[in-house]
Amino acid sequence: MQNQEGLQADAEMASVTPIQATEVEDWANFRDDDIMQQQSAIRAVEAEKIPLVGDKEPLSSLAAEYQSGSPILLEKIKVLSEQFDAIRRTRGDGNCFFRSFMFSYLEHILESQDREEVNRITGNVENCRKTLQSLGYADFTFEDFFALFLEQLESVLQGNEASISHDELMQRSRDQSISDYVVMFFRFVTSGEIRKRSEFFEPFILGLTNTTVEQFCKSSVEPMGEESDHVHITAVSDALGVPIRVVYLDRSSCDTGGVSVNHHDFIPAISDAPSGTSGGSETKPFINLLYRPGHYDILYPK
Amino acid sequence: MVDFARVQKELQECNKDIDVSGISIKPKGDNLTHLAGTIPGPLATPYEGGTFNIDIILPDGYPFEPPRMQFATKVWEYQAGNNETLKGLLVTTLYIASISVYTPAMLCSVALLHMVLTRHPNISSQSGAICLDILKDQWSPALTLKTALLSVQALLSAPEPDDPQDAVVAQQYLRDYQTFAATARYWTETFARTSALGVEEKVQKLVEMGFPEALVRSTLESVGGDENMALEKLCSG
Repeated sequence: MQNQEGLQADAEMASVTPIQATEVEDWANFRDDDIMQQQSAIRAVEAEKIPLVGDKEPLSSLAAEYQSGSPILLEKIKVLSEQFDAIRRTRGDGNCFFRSFMFSYLEHILESQDREEVNRITGNVENCRKTLQSLGYADFTFEDFFALFLEQLESVLQGNEASISHDELMQRSRDQSISDYVVMFFRFVTSGEIRKRSEFFEPFILGLTNTTVEQFCKSSVEPMGEESDHVHITAVSDALGVPIRVVYLDRSSCDTGGVSVNHHDFIPAISDAPSGTSGGSETKPFINLLYRPGHYDILYPK
Repeated sequence: MVDFARVQKELQECNKDIDVSGISIKPKGDNLTHLAGTIPGPLATPYEGGTFNIDIILPDGYPFEPPRMQFATKVWEYQAGNNETLKGLLVTTLYIASISVYTPAMLCSVALLHMVLTRHPNISSQSGAICLDILKDQWSPALTLKTALLSVQALLSAPEPDDPQDAVVAQQYLRDYQTFAATARYWTETFARTSALGVEEKVQKLVEMGFPEALVRSTLESVGGDENMALEKLCSG
């Protein structure tokens, strides 16, 4: 009986195998190269729609987007426009949080010329470098990215040979290679901070993805194009000591019927927050980001 | 544009502890976009004792884009067959290296039925392509060629037949592990060890298969001493 079954199975295999073989061949035609090429073609189409970092637009352009959309959102945009007067969009390529953060920070330094802040963050960048080294990262994997960020930071400070204008900052932020290097710098910083304080981050990561801290950093922080979540924002804000305000534009409404816009301030856990805020007074973030489910843009307060 | 300064550093770092890791990376031509990597087969696997050659091509966007890696250790597959006559013949080709019963013509007609590389569910038996997330969307500039090769080595230890690159091999892995392991082991011993052979041993082996010595020598020379490439060339006439 068993033998018979065996034979039957063999016979089935015999008749099935050739078909499978061609199926496999067909699949084999979809080489990884082809798939990756297609992905980059999709990205290219996306790239034509919006630059990595867009122009500053009045907040009314946001309202225009939802013209025939949810009334709650339109109400909320109205509330938003009481506090903010402009928005700068970033490309939705999975790096939008880090890119928004990059531009917003460098633009702030360019406009404020706050050397004290530059010195402060430079110190923190050095600490991040040490963190990565102590975690066992080879220097050559991250040094280029660190160097490029520090170079950008240096160049937005005026008064030296390498100083750049706002237009130049815009251009560099839209230059894929410079922009991506800085994004990758932030990813290194974020990953290093999460790994260094893995006990603190572990419960959040477990809640988010049910993976280990190590695995999370490898699969959701370090690869380009992986979207950012609270965990990333908390880590990068803590590591660099830069407070970040995220304003949420979604359909949620409060019980009372009135419409309000929620925001969350990420205040660095480490106490060396930007200068001028000593004495434990509430730090007001100078980085304002607009979050719509799945995407971050930059907001400009009035 | 490939970041060559970084690649240079990577090669130095990797080859520095070659004695510990067994992993090496060398340039294949004058520029650094085409590299040859080798990984030792992990212990306690059917790949133990073998040295596997990985062909590495760096795309323009490296290190933002992943390196392209393929198994380049070529071996010949026998068809785990449904045709009785063929089955006997093909199984025998496994021993062809030591028992030269078949003429080169017969060997070729058999061998060319299936040219594969390393037998593994996540490695394509047609192209040597590797199914590994870090070589695709999970790649990060935080990784290096060496860490990628280490991951490939880890994949040899822990195949993922549920996410196969080669459906046929994956099926055999799941349904008939014994046969899979025996085949993979045999191939490792027969083919992945040969890279360490001296020229004379390679010549002798190919002559034993029935190819004329002069032709074997000139063919081996023309492919830079790669025995498997020589066999492929000899078979294709």
